[in-house]
Amino acid sequence: MANLLMFHGRECPHCKKMMPLVEKLEKETGVFFDKREVWHDEKNADLMRSYREALAPKCGNQLRVPTFFNHDTKDAICGEVEYQKLKDWVLKQ
Amino acid sequence: MKRYWRCFVCNDIHYGLKPPEVCPTCKVKNAYVEVTSEEAKTIASLSTVEFTEADFFEAIMRFTEGNEFQVNPDRERVRMLLDGITNNERNHGLKYCPCRLATKDFEEDLHIVCPCNFVIHETYKGVPDGECWCGLFVRRK
Repeated sequence: MANLLMFHGRECPHCKKMMPLVEKLEKETGVFFDKREVWHDEKNADLMRSYREALAPKCGNQLRVPTFFNHDTKDAICGEVEYQKLKDWVLKQ
Repeated sequence: MKRYWRCFVCNDIHYGLKPPEVCPTCKVKNAYVEVTSEEAKTIASLSTVEFTEADFFEAIMRFTEGNEFQVNPDRERVRMLLDGITNNERNHGLKYCPCRLATKDFEEDLHIVCPCNFVIHETYKGVPDGECWCGLFVRRK
């Protein structure tokens, strides 16, 4: 499993908006996000739930999408964020 | 703990700490008697009214009337969210927010059933352009 994950929902407008930014970031920096859809894939949902302790404090104490998560550092950022903010977060990892 | 109550005149069901003083349907005072959850569920299951995605849209439009928030004027966004909400009810049992994930703790997950109590969330409370997490509801301008 890649160390960077993106949890997203198929009918989540924030996720839809972030997806092209994530793809742009992947091309620009060479990083790769393992993208996991959580409402139509129970395995992905369970994976996200398994990281709840790390994710919830960064996301209003809930499991929200989109959430970007570093499996190694357990750092997370969630929601619709500006491209530069996501890039800074990735480069910090 | 909340309990179930039944109007002895018209069989309205109420779920709460106390029953209403006046039944909102038949207007009879002091009409409610406490019942078991099984009885309440049986009576509630009698309704066979079809409730479509369009009906839910109409319901939330009525819900926002007179409130400080409204349904997002971005109808493309609303359409996508309603698809997700409908799919979540079909696949997971309740109208869960498409922009969050149910934890499998039923009581906790009731907090993410649409419409949720977003007015207390950091994305809305005290925010001039506040909206619920998914953006289905936005502060009225």
